[in-house]
Amino acid sequence: MAQVLKINKSVDQGLTAFLEFLLKEKKVSGVVTLKKNRGGPGISYALITRPEELDGARPLFPLMPANSGKILSRLTLRGPLKDPIAVVLKPCELRALIELVKRQQGSLENMIFISQTCPGVYPLEMSVDGDLDALASRYQDQVQSGQHIPEIRPACRSCVHFTPQNADIIVSLIAEAGLDRSCSLVLNSKKGEALADGMAGEKREQDLNSQELAHFSDHRKTARLKLFDEMGEKTKGIKGLIGLFGKCIGCHACGNACPICYCNLCFFESQPNESRPNSFRADLEKKGAARIPAGTLFYHVGRLAHMSVSCVGCGMCMDVCPVDIPVGTLFSRVGESVQKTFEYIPGSKIDEPLPVAVFKEEEFAQLGEG
Amino acid sequence: MNGSKLPGAQDAEKSVLAFLKTGLEKRCFEAVMMSHRVPAGDGYAYVLIKDPALLEGASPLPPVIPVQGAKALSALTRWGPPKETILAVMHPCEIRAAVELFKLKQASLDHIVFLSFDCPGVMPLSDYVKNPGEADRTYAAARRKWESAKMRPLCRICNEFVPAASDLHIGLLGAEEGSAWLFPVSPEGRRIMDSVGLETAVSSDAWEREAAERKTVREKERQEAHQVSRDRVSGPDGLLAAFSSCINCHNCMRVCPVCYCRQCYFDSEAFKLPPENYVERARKKGSLRLPADTLLFHLGRMSHMALSCVSCGTCEDACPMDIKVGQIFSLVADNAQKQLNYLPGRSREDPLPASVYQEEELEGVEKPYVETYSRTGDRDGAGSENQ
Repeated sequence: MAQVLKINKSVDQGLTAFLEFLLKEKKVSGVVTLKKNRGGPGISYALITRPEELDGARPLFPLMPANSGKILSRLTLRGPLKDPIAVVLKPCELRALIELVKRQQGSLENMIFISQTCPGVYPLEMSVDGDLDALASRYQDQVQSGQHIPEIRPACRSCVHFTPQNADIIVSLIAEAGLDRSCSLVLNSKKGEALADGMAGEKREQDLNSQELAHFSDHRKTARLKLFDEMGEKTKGIKGLIGLFGKCIGCHACGNACPICYCNLCFFESQPNESRPNSFRADLEKKGAARIPAGTLFYHVGRLAHMSVSCVGCGMCMDVCPVDIPVGTLFSRVGESVQKTFEYIPGSKIDEPLPVAVFKEEEFAQLGEG
Repeated sequence: MNGSKLPGAQDAEKSVLAFLKTGLEKRCFEAVMMSHRVPAGDGYAYVLIKDPALLEGASPLPPVIPVQGAKALSALTRWGPPKETILAVMHPCEIRAAVELFKLKQASLDHIVFLSFDCPGVMPLSDYVKNPGEADRTYAAARRKWESAKMRPLCRICNEFVPAASDLHIGLLGAEEGSAWLFPVSPEGRRIMDSVGLETAVSSDAWEREAAERKTVREKERQEAHQVSRDRVSGPDGLLAAFSSCINCHNCMRVCPVCYCRQCYFDSEAFKLPPENYVERARKKGSLRLPADTLLFHLGRMSHMALSCVSCGTCEDACPMDIKVGQIFSLVADNAQKQLNYLPGRSREDPLPASVYQEEELEGVEKPYVETYSRTGDRDGAGSENQ
């Protein structure tokens, strides 16, 4: 049984009040949360140090303008934080951060994580010229009535890792009735308990709605299987892959939005990867034609090989693709099968080493013998 | 200038393809670089074609610009020019960008012959991908009538839709529906027309008249549209609002033909700061937006590339948040270019303004600046709050 703190406010207001309490009581030196942009449309993450700046904060807003794992990696790339901050983020963002830290791209020190049982987020394009408040209130209505929200991103519709095991505090959203009047914070660690100490509200011993979460998980598993099967059918063989990626414009937005793709200079943008005149000539002689720039498929397959073991299925790649290629679904599918092979779930255990960082003398012998 | 009426009267695209086929068969050029429909039929890509049979599926007038042609040409020639002539069929803005990349030493133009056409504009990429089949038909109908309503905002106000630094040009304006003229713009263009066996006996007067008329209309529309943008983005508040929803993905820069740096300064180590830096900035203001320095990126990029910006709109096509980044850059670019009397891509010979030293230059800008700061005693123009 975990301790649960119940605040008698709507879930968004309750969490914001909690963040205000943390800043006012100086339990943390800052909080990172989504916040409506000032002076223009949109929503972004912000590092807030003054309680009054929480005006406009929307900690649970159902949108991912960037994977915050990437943002927090940038924040702590040069060294750990000196003073504690509280971070409100989605489960896949926390998992991405953990993977980045394993790859020496950041530090978890002095970060306290507040996450949620995550019903999913809307595609970025729904926020373009959209009324953010209307979007948020529609979302809350759908979540508290226990619906599976049809408009959320495909990556979210098929996500089965929606419970943030490593968060210090978990905001209960899935299958939680009365989100418009109460905010339930599950204190999931000693750090989480210490943080909530002194906050006004009702405390009780209670677990997450495990039965409802299991139901939810079943539904998601079915959706995931279906989506993955369709993708597998679509991308069978080199022909299938060409069909999927033919319209790719080579902007590499997918790699740049990907939290795991942290390389300063991607191999596929490097000098050694650039085609020399001879290679075009060879293509012309052999095939009578050559696509320019070359290597569209090579980029995607190469990126898959580089990052799929750590792919958290966050769907950012798909959100930013200017030509709507379902790149995230393919990457999630391949990621899952690679991860199964290594019995590895990215971001689930902080102390578990990356599979590629471990040497085993006997491994995949059956692959080498073919 | 005299040209030739291309044979065939059904469809201008088919006439152009027939010309290219003959050129390939007669080996007037070794290969053609042009847009080609991808195998799934849901997009276009630049393809270098040697086998005339593979011109099937190629499109001289594609409805979208998925990859800016200058970027494709740079990929083809950055490591050395082709050994034999390649005819590149590209939109005028792509050719202008290619000339800029040539001046920036990112592309070779040796053995490259440009074929441009009166550009009716292209559709926004996001509109196209929603329903490619229908978009192909919509586009074909709109371009025949020179209707710009379905085209991208920057295409609608483009006043450089006629040849700039090309060798051959397809004239569509003023031609009968379905037919096209071919004009030799350079000696190399004339050589190719001769070797294909096209006589240049048709006067270009009718085309030039029509093109000039269109250009006048477009220039007015461009000024009006730029005025709207100016009103919208003037001052720090306007700029902040215009870029407010930016998610800092830098995709505008990555697809920009002129932004060729392998490693953008704004993605470099210079912007990977110790955590204290971010925390301190947050403390000063009470809140710091993350990722930080979003507006700085856009302003910095603008100052880096505005003189060579060809207003092609590829940046705007690639923005996941539909920010009017191309329209803003186009406004600033026009102004910067006017100051220095430079039109990017106009000719291969005009030197890049930043590469030319003139002792007396831009006094109109310099004088008020010096006067302002000598009055306040703050000569170096830096804000005094840091001192």
